[in-house]
Amino acid sequence: MTVEQGVQAVDQFPVGMRVLAVDDDQTCLLILETLLHRCQYHVTTTDKAQTALELLRENKNKFDLVISDVDMPDMDGFKLLELVGLEMDLPVIMLSAHSDPKYVMKGVKHGACDYLLKPVRIEELKNIWQHVVRKSKLKKMKGIVTNGESEGNSDQNGVRANRKRKDQLEEKDEEEQEQERGNDKKPRVIWTRELHNKFLAAVDHVGIKNAVPKKILDLMNVDNLTRENVASHLQKFRLALKKITNEAKQQANMAAANSHFMQMSSLKGFGSFHHSPIPLGSSQFHGGAATMRHYPSNRTFAGMFPHVSSSLPRNLHNDGGHMLQGTPFPPLENLHINSNNKAFPSFASQQSSLLVAPSMVLEGHQQSTSPSFSPHLEINKRLEDWSNNIPQSNVHSEPDALGWNMFGNSTNQTYFCRDTDFGSSSAAQADSLQMKQQHENIFSPMTVAQLLRSSSANEGLFMGQQKLENGFMASDAGSLDDIVNSMMTQEQSQAEFSEGDWVWVA
Amino acid sequence: MNTVVVAQLQRQFQEYLVSLYQQGFLDNQFTELRKLQDEGTPDFVAEVVSLFFDDCSKLINSMSRSLGRPESVDFKQVDSGVHQLKGSSSSVGARRVKNVCISFKECCDVQNREGCLRCLQQVDYEYKMLKTKLEDLFNLEQQILQAGGTIPQININ
Repeated sequence: MTVEQGVQAVDQFPVGMRVLAVDDDQTCLLILETLLHRCQYHVTTTDKAQTALELLRENKNKFDLVISDVDMPDMDGFKLLELVGLEMDLPVIMLSAHSDPKYVMKGVKHGACDYLLKPVRIEELKNIWQHVVRKSKLKKMKGIVTNGESEGNSDQNGVRANRKRKDQLEEKDEEEQEQERGNDKKPRVIWTRELHNKFLAAVDHVGIKNAVPKKILDLMNVDNLTRENVASHLQKFRLALKKITNEAKQQANMAAANSHFMQMSSLKGFGSFHHSPIPLGSSQFHGGAATMRHYPSNRTFAGMFPHVSSSLPRNLHNDGGHMLQGTPFPPLENLHINSNNKAFPSFASQQSSLLVAPSMVLEGHQQSTSPSFSPHLEINKRLEDWSNNIPQSNVHSEPDALGWNMFGNSTNQTYFCRDTDFGSSSAAQADSLQMKQQHENIFSPMTVAQLLRSSSANEGLFMGQQKLENGFMASDAGSLDDIVNSMMTQEQSQAEFSEGDWVWVA
Repeated sequence: MNTVVVAQLQRQFQEYLVSLYQQGFLDNQFTELRKLQDEGTPDFVAEVVSLFFDDCSKLINSMSRSLGRPESVDFKQVDSGVHQLKGSSSSVGARRVKNVCISFKECCDVQNREGCLRCLQQVDYEYKMLKTKLEDLFNLEQQILQAGGTIPQININ
């Protein structure tokens, strides 16, 4: 082969693959050589194993593959196989008239890449180049592992050039794949306190009714935030608000209701928050659901929400259970009952997003629909953030916690206090005090009772909901205690649960 | 070019080749060898079979020596020889020779010297017979070429 052919060979692998053929039988050797030529390989032949070794040792770089007969007088083919594998790490194909599986096994054990039976067919030889590719891939990986050890050999230029090309092709493919995967993935947006505050400010600025993602996005002026991020966050926010409002309404209606609370499984109704029934997709929406339908457009809620967040007890627990975990409980009124963790569908399914995105909801309540809702702490923080906008005491958080606890039983009853006017911080401020008081009332043990007896629809709703969730009547303070107790027992670790103030209505 | 002569020779060639297959002298592997022959390697088949016959001769001689003295037969060596013969005969498509090798190996495995000797004899006979036949075939080929014709590619079922 001329040098030219050699160069071509490198570029057109497997054409020009350099094979060393060893067989003491000259008939077979000639046939093999011809077959290999027909496959467009570059062939060197020898009838002596020893010669083959010498050729290889002289320049292991000269060959890509070795094909060797098994039965040779001067050296056992398996021995040659071993030596080639050890010294040169080239792929070796065994050739034999022995079809006995024992031989095949021996070949494999000695490291043969393949074992061909005589008479060799050209079809079999046409695919032997795969062994070269495979081996070089392994080498490449080994090289990576051993930090370029395989690069050491200067002898292997030719082979390496061959392999490099293949490797490059492979690398390229891998890179492309990675890029594609990367492009498909969207980086998750974490709604931090600051981010949420910006969000709130933006919403507040445009007004909850005018809150569209695009406007909010523009006002927020945050890099790497997409309209979609804002849109989903806004949706959650609205859902939280809605829930709270719904719950408030429900409470009023639930006083007489005996059934289980409804759960807001779908927040889709948000748009019709003010007027339409709460979309309760949840199957758990029992009788009481109907009562929840009307949402009060309760601006106060909105006002409360922000505060609610602060009022959320950090410790909202829920470690044990799924209680509303730490999500900030929006004003009691806003507590919504989530019978199945579905109160906030989005939350339920997005624990993390719960923390992050719906901080607003969190404000209201944190739904810890899933036991693993560890982010509640974050939510608490978030609530704090929210609440930070408005001076609040921790008392507020209690109520939230209370609400949470109450609802946060294993069924993830989460109550959301949704404030329709969530975003209005000013209103929130004005209402914060109100809320605080309410919260206080609600969340302290006594306030729970008060809540129950309270004429506030929200409160009633809250309690009622709780009761519903637990199958209790909510109107009775005493029973509320029962509820609380039972919930407490239901809930496992309510460690953080009561910061003291909030009564955990379980 | 005398097309009639060429055609006649070609027909003769074809018939002869087919008969060799039918009589079991040759098998599919020989067809494969013929396929490998092209303008670049016009004598490939002739070259291969020539090598084969040389191998046969050498192996038979060495095995004969090994089987020579009844009291000290080196069956291992005989087995090795048979093995190689089997390999090469199968590679060229020398079917009959290969078949004798199979029997030969069996005798060797049980160290049946008599059997081995018989097989040895048979192998010798078969390879020489094939050699003659193929020589005739190559002669026909030459005649066709000399008459200006081309050697037909024959598909043997």
